[in-house]
Amino acid sequence: MNRALSRSRVATFVVLTLFSVAPLLMLVMTSLARGWFYPAVAPDAIDFSAWQDVFTDETHRGALINSLVLGAATAVIATALALPLGRLAALSTRAVRRTVALLAFAAVALPPVALGIGLQLSVLALGLGGSLFGILLAHLVPALGYLTLVFLGVFTRWDPRLDEAAATLGASDLVRWKLLLLPLLRRPIAEALALGFLVSWSQVALTLLVGGGAVRTLPLDVLAMLQSGQDQRAAVGALALAFPALIVLAIAGAAARNTSAVVA
Amino acid sequence: MTLALDVRDLHVLFGGSSAPPRIAQHSVSALLVDSVCEQEMARFPGARLGLAGLSFAVAAGDCLAVLGVSGSGKSSLLRTLAGLQPTVRGTVLVNGQDVSAFPAEHRGIVYLHQEPVLFPHLSVLDNVMFPLTVRGVARRTAQQRAFDWMKRLYVSELAGFAPQSLSGGQRHRVALARALCADPAVLLLDEPLAALDPAVRADIREALQLAREASGAAMVLVTHDLDDALAIATHIAAVTRYSLTAAATPGSLLHTPPDLETAKLLGVYAEIQGTVVDAAGGPAFHWIGGAVPAPGAAAGSAVACVRSYEVELMRGRVDDGQALLVVERKERAHEVLLTVQRAHDLCAVVRVGNGVAAAVGDEVQVSITNARIFSIR
Repeated sequence: MNRALSRSRVATFVVLTLFSVAPLLMLVMTSLARGWFYPAVAPDAIDFSAWQDVFTDETHRGALINSLVLGAATAVIATALALPLGRLAALSTRAVRRTVALLAFAAVALPPVALGIGLQLSVLALGLGGSLFGILLAHLVPALGYLTLVFLGVFTRWDPRLDEAAATLGASDLVRWKLLLLPLLRRPIAEALALGFLVSWSQVALTLLVGGGAVRTLPLDVLAMLQSGQDQRAAVGALALAFPALIVLAIAGAAARNTSAVVA
Repeated sequence: MTLALDVRDLHVLFGGSSAPPRIAQHSVSALLVDSVCEQEMARFPGARLGLAGLSFAVAAGDCLAVLGVSGSGKSSLLRTLAGLQPTVRGTVLVNGQDVSAFPAEHRGIVYLHQEPVLFPHLSVLDNVMFPLTVRGVARRTAQQRAFDWMKRLYVSELAGFAPQSLSGGQRHRVALARALCADPAVLLLDEPLAALDPAVRADIREALQLAREASGAAMVLVTHDLDDALAIATHIAAVTRYSLTAAATPGSLLHTPPDLETAKLLGVYAEIQGTVVDAAGGPAFHWIGGAVPAPGAAAGSAVACVRSYEVELMRGRVDDGQALLVVERKERAHEVLLTVQRAHDLCAVVRVGNGVAAAVGDEVQVSITNARIFSIR
């Protein structure tokens, strides 16, 4: 019985590893391979020219910087908005809570193309079409949806007695945020920042529809390279897309480990 | 003299959108609500009036224990005083200042939850210093004052510990030290001893007594345990019929409870059913064991509340007294409950000291030396 369980665990681990690591491994090999065609098992030669091209090319660097700026701004703004929104909703009546959750879920669940067209029209009406700021506004919509759901969950489990105890000990709303909520919420805030960054970092449809191709970001660049048959460069771009996500997750994990917060 | 806490005509809500719904054991339909009060209550959907017209005062250094059954609104009363739930009517004065409209942080009232709530991201010392940190007191001064209280409550050696590593009793002491560090005019204690085992309970009772004497704060303690109230409080009032009885000293409340409901709440009386009959020598209370003078009592059905030391029990038939048969004996920690029977359907339960040797099947004669008689309408 135990042996069978152990085997099934190993099998699950192997399958999951293959599914998550194999594509990355494939990208690494493609980015370094020159002249690697079917049915060859290994590439003819290894070279770093694609890596050099991608990181020295001004256009690609600009796209990378745009993606980083958008990701960071989306993470910070969406977290700053979702944190009080989630708290207010959690402290409100059940009807308000459900409405906020529904709206947040709609922003997350709507197909990106449908959401993108709606946002494109709104952003164009504001005169922000094709601008970095317009794209930032568009990225904020799904990011705010995700993060509101995160903080709604956090504050639904929040012990209100902590607030009550602090209030009767003389702490005003502002002081409670500073001395109680923010220190206790280090972990969810770190996770929210990471999630907000990743939502923006991987956006294609919204960027394309709202930016109209005028603003280049890394995912758009990768798609363009793929469409033009630059597989080796596209693989480098794809890896560049994956690495920050892994780094952000690692930082979020470390921040989570460094906090002793007890939320619920 | 300015009272530390002076409460006038306070109405207390149950439930509502600003607080989780609570269930009262009794119906509140008996409460009369005028149109002004109704309008105020409409601001809090789902809320209903639980207690009405409460007026009481507590002097600095005194402790008022509020006795009441679970769900009677004791905790809601404290939460209303602390500003943690809305007030629809009434005035709360702290040191002569009306704080009814003030938010919780500006009332000078500290509320201690039943389970001590310590901030999990702060050390014990930082927890105790919290009220001083909030006020911007210099760290060194704050530390010194925090240590003063921690030493008095025997938790100074825990200064660097995380709250999660403390025992239940230690957590209570730390929460108390933190509350006292805030130098409150009024300290509200919400059943602080309810969930503690007997040894820790005695320990925390002692700490609360010390807190009352050393801090000079006016304390309001809600509890359903008479022993806790007697150990800590200088005055006791009971929540009955949607209101509060007049505060009395523990001794006077115990000896002359104002009504039957309060007497029941005290939990120290045997209730004996009978009838008050007007006689030549004055009204007398007749029960299955005999009669006892009932000066001032109205004729009719009544209940006599009798404590164990007010019962004299003799085994066997004495003179021509009415002999009763012991049909049940239940041991308690400090007394015995004896069910005595005269005829098949005439029974009474009396409390007697646990030195009494009467056993089931014995014939006894019971005489009451003192009783509080309450008419039954």
